[in-house]
Amino acid sequence: MDPTYSSRFPVSERPGYMCLRSGATWRIIVLRQQINDPAKGWTPNFMSSEEYQIDATVEVVTPENIAFQYQVAGPFRRLPAYLIDFAIRAAIFGALVFVVTMIASLSAFAGVSMGVALMATIFLAWFVLQWFYGGLFETYMNGQTPGKWVMGIRVLSVSGQPINGLQAVMRNLLRLVDFMPPMALPLFGDAFGEPLEEPIRLMLIPTLMIGLVTMTMNRRFQRLGDIVCSTMVVIEEKSWLMGVARLDDPRAAQLSEYLPVNYQISRSLARTLATYVERRRFFSLPRRREIARHLGEPLLREFGLPADTSHDLLLCALYYRAFIADRATDDQWNAPSSPFGTHPAPASEPFPNFTAPPLPQEQMSGMRLEDIEIKTGGARW
Amino acid sequence: MKVAELLERRRRNWHELERLCQEMQTRRKRDMGAATVSKFAALYRAACADLALADAYQLPPNTVQYLHRLVGRAHNQLFRSRTFDIGEWGRVLLVDVPQRVFNDRCVQLAFCLFWGIFILSAILAYSQALWPEYAEHVLSTDGITELEENFRNPIEGRNPEENFFMAAFYIQHNTGIGLTCFATGLLVIPGLLTTIFNAGLLGAAFGYMARPEVYDGGAGKHFFQFVTAHGPFELTAIVLSAGSGLRLGMSWISTGGFTREGSLRKTAEYALPIMGSAMVMFFLAALIEGFLSPTGAPDLLKQGVAVMSSGLLMFYFVILGFPWRPISAAR
Repeated sequence: MDPTYSSRFPVSERPGYMCLRSGATWRIIVLRQQINDPAKGWTPNFMSSEEYQIDATVEVVTPENIAFQYQVAGPFRRLPAYLIDFAIRAAIFGALVFVVTMIASLSAFAGVSMGVALMATIFLAWFVLQWFYGGLFETYMNGQTPGKWVMGIRVLSVSGQPINGLQAVMRNLLRLVDFMPPMALPLFGDAFGEPLEEPIRLMLIPTLMIGLVTMTMNRRFQRLGDIVCSTMVVIEEKSWLMGVARLDDPRAAQLSEYLPVNYQISRSLARTLATYVERRRFFSLPRRREIARHLGEPLLREFGLPADTSHDLLLCALYYRAFIADRATDDQWNAPSSPFGTHPAPASEPFPNFTAPPLPQEQMSGMRLEDIEIKTGGARW
Repeated sequence: MKVAELLERRRRNWHELERLCQEMQTRRKRDMGAATVSKFAALYRAACADLALADAYQLPPNTVQYLHRLVGRAHNQLFRSRTFDIGEWGRVLLVDVPQRVFNDRCVQLAFCLFWGIFILSAILAYSQALWPEYAEHVLSTDGITELEENFRNPIEGRNPEENFFMAAFYIQHNTGIGLTCFATGLLVIPGLLTTIFNAGLLGAAFGYMARPEVYDGGAGKHFFQFVTAHGPFELTAIVLSAGSGLRLGMSWISTGGFTREGSLRKTAEYALPIMGSAMVMFFLAALIEGFLSPTGAPDLLKQGVAVMSSGLLMFYFVILGFPWRPISAAR
């Protein structure tokens, strides 16, 4: 082994420091590896079976025969969306009443009485807004109402297909049931001086209980109206492409040279490494050590590296090996006579002049943007 | 090829797809041009392929998640909501629905319940001997005064706007009753209560208005002039809504061997078109109610319309609905 090895990759900068807080984070990371690869290790009891797990994603298989996942929207997104829609409805109605009142008073000046007819339009507008606002928007806005658009959610069929008009209208009619039972609050009783005579006016507040309970009882957070119409509400958001994590410590690349050349990083290990390395910058130093130890110790033993190597650094090196180091260097490593010392140190730019051949899929469908534009440029809609 | 390189190569395609998604969301499809649309589709397929091969490429989890979201968004822009297909609906409404209604126990139950209570309530409200204060109990004194007030003046002499206002009010009121019957029918008991309550209320109003002294006093006469024409469609539509709601509600109680959710979903395919036909009837009733009922057209015409619409409904449910051919095993 390289004599400078221990000084270059020490266990940590502050030995002896013990982190006392619970290890919840590493547990997630380590377990994830084991769950994904049950043959490899112990699977904890409390997650032993799929049916005990709850997951807010549903899988959709497209006509292209690709399976992708949606995240289902729960009540904490859907209720705000509804409230926004409610506010919009109220605003439309208020604006309409205002306009109608203006027209009515103007026409009264002109000596034409139009008030009653205008009242009738108000009634009809109220009726349509009350019963068909959601249905019409979801039909013509591709499963979204303005409120849903703001909250980034969309209604789809459970098969992942878009909804049709009947589904949109019916699921909105049935919301009446999902908001039941109303709770009666005798708010205006004695609160304002003398009690009201006549039947005491109750304030009926929808409690949403039926919808909420139904949502907890199925995998797709469907309320009763959704079940009847076979629809679900999914989250449709932009997310940012992170790319590969940047390793700020050049020693990771150097350490990766010391790893056994023929070590195959399994898929689940690669996933675990990515999860760890992408998040490690949010962890404090002791926490990193605590987390990395569980994977680092057995791996160091397996690689035959000195036990005082930094585990965190080892995981970074493996990450570098799995995701960043390019094929050119792999080939050099695989060459049997390549001595470790003469191997060029990977720089910050891992593949300066290397252009790989296009992937089969790129050749197949010509996925380069330039090609697409050239191919379809002349066609008209 | 390593992941870093792959991501670097794909980044442009994915960003372009994201931009096009945004564009599809906000712009009219027709303005975008064929080139853009087919580019969008090609990029979508490419992203799908990347996602399918994500495991083979060993993409890191956050990139996979990004791809799931991206493909999901693009999928929703490519496959868009279908509006109402007229031809398909014509077939469902004219062939399937009448046969279903003709054989459906729940619609029959709703029919008997609604009309039974309607007629009973009408008789009780009409007769002053059986239960003298019945109408006052059900409709309340204020309600009766208001109802009489609404119909005091003859329809033809009235301000046309006032008539239009009245029509608008009753359209939203009665259609609202029907839709409520349907929705609450999903919970069976609230649905039954809503149906019974409204049948009693409507029946009492009809019975009270038919009382000789009220009828001759003008209010009753004008009331019947108003309601005759659109009555058949509107009341039938209420019965149909209540029936299809009840069918939905019963499906999760007696599931016929399915899971409750599965039974509900299966029955919905069968019952929702019935509600669709009820909505068409509500619409027809609203047309009549808006354009014929509040006018001073002769009574004969209104009665003719009522007879004709009743005949049409009979034809629809009995002739079209009769199982001339043995229907399939599904209920």
